[in-house]
Amino acid sequence: MRTKQKLEIRRCRPLLGTFVEIQAFGSNADDLEDAIEAAFLAIAQVHRLMSFHYHESDISRMNRDAHYKAVRVHGWTWRVLKSAQEFSRNTDGIFDVTMARQLVKWNYLPKYRGRLGRGSWRDIIFEANGRVRFRRPLLIDFGGIAKGFAVDRAVEVLKCKPVMAGIVNAGGDLRVFGSASQVVHLRHPAQPKSTVGAVRLRQRAIATSGVYFARTKNRCRYMSPILNARTNRAAYDLISVTVGAANCMTADALTKVVFALRERAAPLLARYSADALLLEQHGRPSWMFHPTCDASRQS
Amino acid sequence: MKSEFAFIALPISALVAPSAFAVQYLTVDQAQRAIFPGKSLTAAPVKLAPAQRRAIEQASGVRVLRDEQQAWSVSGGGWFIVDEVVGKHEFITYAVGLNANGSVKQIEVMDYRETYGGEIRNEHWRDQFVGKTSRSPLKLDRDIKNISGATLSCRHVTDGVKRLLAFYEIALKRS
Repeated sequence: MRTKQKLEIRRCRPLLGTFVEIQAFGSNADDLEDAIEAAFLAIAQVHRLMSFHYHESDISRMNRDAHYKAVRVHGWTWRVLKSAQEFSRNTDGIFDVTMARQLVKWNYLPKYRGRLGRGSWRDIIFEANGRVRFRRPLLIDFGGIAKGFAVDRAVEVLKCKPVMAGIVNAGGDLRVFGSASQVVHLRHPAQPKSTVGAVRLRQRAIATSGVYFARTKNRCRYMSPILNARTNRAAYDLISVTVGAANCMTADALTKVVFALRERAAPLLARYSADALLLEQHGRPSWMFHPTCDASRQS
Repeated sequence: MKSEFAFIALPISALVAPSAFAVQYLTVDQAQRAIFPGKSLTAAPVKLAPAQRRAIEQASGVRVLRDEQQAWSVSGGGWFIVDEVVGKHEFITYAVGLNANGSVKQIEVMDYRETYGGEIRNEHWRDQFVGKTSRSPLKLDRDIKNISGATLSCRHVTDGVKRLLAFYEIALKRS
């Protein structure tokens, strides 16, 4: 039998407000190019549907109209919104996609001409035929979970193509699929130009949250776009949270929860079979959570 | 096959060294073939007059740092443009393909290099990167293939594309 040479193709495009990179391994360059193109199309689709900035996205249409009338959304937007509701329920509102109001006030999202509203995740109503309605005015921004969802869609596309293995990385939210394991470095939580360690991954998604690129100082108080929706407080410690999960959307959502709850997030992580790694300001891990080992220790 | 998630701590020595993360995705030639497969391209670099620079800045709201722009005309219509942007943390070379009507066909990042703080303003330091190809990678880069971390914004590239669209209107478009 002829052994096929393993090729690697790696492409990067600006999408979802960040740099999205796709690496695919296989035996035929044309097949890999086609697969990567198709995967980028799926990501571009998520971008069009879920961008807070793009006027005609599902998100913008909901933010504008869903308080007055039911707004029909794409099946993908529906899925992300449903998952977001589940995360909100499971965290009793610590995770909440309706916190966009606060991010607009803090200038992490562009100025909004309409009402910012005071509603929460509890005011989102799912109606028949993919329609969504808001009980009170509110603003949704999917933020990282749309990125995670886009990564998952891209991986889904790549898996249907003649691709042996690959990695999709949307600004640090990434997922590895196929037989090969990959090493992913983690940034130092206080000095992001350095890496402090790495994670070896196989068939798993990870997401890392930290405030190092986004933290700003406003009237002597530090601000960041990572906030605990229950307390309305921004996270400002220079720590980083990395979560590993079966899919990238779950991994991204859980990083925000671990940021708020730290060790107290363990039961939730176990529920999603997710791993977590908390790096302190000095760059050393202060807490690690592995669902399988913890379960075996308990039994 | 089982999924895997294992943390590997790095030795202190590695911690001190900056990661200098850099990737070359495409050469100019590869980018041309990726965006315009099967088309022939003719180099048509443009030197901007001061008035044109001002007009581009006014139309796009983005500063024009260089008065020369690398551009290629595509057989059957369209343009291929190579541009560079310097972000807060990154130094990026990217290619934009424009359709015959001036709309964006595709954007591909060609080179991505992370830089920090004042380093980029130091020309000497920057010179190290000029002309770097995959044949002469920086030593530290070799081991870092993927990074997970807080999201870096691609705003500088988005602004760059805005500027290139104004450049097209003012300097390339044929009336």
